[in-house]
Amino acid sequence: MADVLTETVLPEDLKKFEQIYHGQLYKNDVTPKAQFDYAFCLVRSKYPADIQKGIALLEDLYRTNEEGQRDYLYYLAIGTARLKEYSKALGYVRSFLSIEPGNQQVMSLEQTIKKKMEKEGLMGMAVAGGVLVAVGAIVGVGMAISKSK
Amino acid sequence: MAEDVITTLKILIIGESGVGKSSLLLRFTEDNFDPEQTLTIGVDFKTKKLTVDGNAVKLAIWDTAGQERFRTLTPSYYRDAQGAILVFDISSYSTFAKLETWLNELDTYSTKKNIVKMIVGNKIDMENREVTREQAMAFARRHQTLYIEASAKTKHGVQAAFEELVHKIIQTPGLWESYNDNIHVGNKDHAPQSGCASYCSLT
Ligand SMILES: Nc1nc2c(ncn2[C@@H]2O[C@H](COP(=O)(O)OP(=O)(O)O)[C@@H](O)[C@H]2O)c(=O)[nH]1
Ligand SMILES: [Mg+2]
Repeated sequence: MADVLTETVLPEDLKKFEQIYHGQLYKNDVTPKAQFDYAFCLVRSKYPADIQKGIALLEDLYRTNEEGQRDYLYYLAIGTARLKEYSKALGYVRSFLSIEPGNQQVMSLEQTIKKKMEKEGLMGMAVAGGVLVAVGAIVGVGMAISKSK
Repeated sequence: MAEDVITTLKILIIGESGVGKSSLLLRFTEDNFDPEQTLTIGVDFKTKKLTVDGNAVKLAIWDTAGQERFRTLTPSYYRDAQGAILVFDISSYSTFAKLETWLNELDTYSTKKNIVKMIVGNKIDMENREVTREQAMAFARRHQTLYIEASAKTKHGVQAAFEELVHKIIQTPGLWESYNDNIHVGNKDHAPQSGCASYCSLT
């Protein structure tokens, strides 16, 4: 059964929000909303390259837009967890909980991530850094994300 | 002993922000209440096993944010849902008035045309009621949905709401039998249905 880490975006949704984002990018006027909407779809894609791209867009928003910080952190945790970068994902969860302790939704995401790690036999193991970095590097290639201005 | 789960049902919770969607879900799944419940980010998810009429089912419940800025992003979660809980706050008329919009949204985006809808009037522990029970029931009747009043804070009506919803889903032919993670039996969902699923006649 699908959960927050396995449900996937509809291709037509991804396309729709990609078009809005690219339309704004073309005019050099990307709104945080368009960028977030597109990233929200990307991190829920079944393709790791899309997720990677979504993470980059969210990282950019996190640096530049004060307002949506909790949204960005939450979906950064989701995106990285989907790429199996669990230690990163748990890092985002921890940052979130240090700002908003006791948040039900984020604590339950933490449980979901830990369960997934357990299932994959990764619990307690420093997430095999090398392999994951390599995967990240491969999907990163050729992905020139234009930072909105 | 745990009974065998006969099926997994996908349930959706929608409605304006602040009406108590996440609180109802937390009360139902963990029998807990957080007076400082914070805003849901995008969409949250919880599961819970429930036995109704001797049938054990697993509920996969998607709780949406309801905030304007997530409006365009959440409809994709409507697909394949067999049940929808539309929540308003009985102490806020505007949240009741918005139900019409939420019902339209549901009609537009849900893929199961005989999806079972339930309206929940939440926060009945509050003293400043702005929507009467009669008003809400008339609205529910007009839109052929179930109606229940509840309080996530006091627990009142919460368990009953989910049980009744599941009861109706199980009673609705063609709504859940074909639903399975891996197997899709035929094309039942899209088979022509007489305008109204069987539950309508029971309302
Ligand atoms: N008095 C009272 N407050 C409630 C009830 N349900 C939720 N709340 C409060 O209403 C606020 C919004 O609840 P929340 O579940 O976040 O609403 P959501 O945005 O629809 O998910 C929170 O402060 C809750 O503690 C209820 O039944 N009674
Ligand atoms: Mg909520």
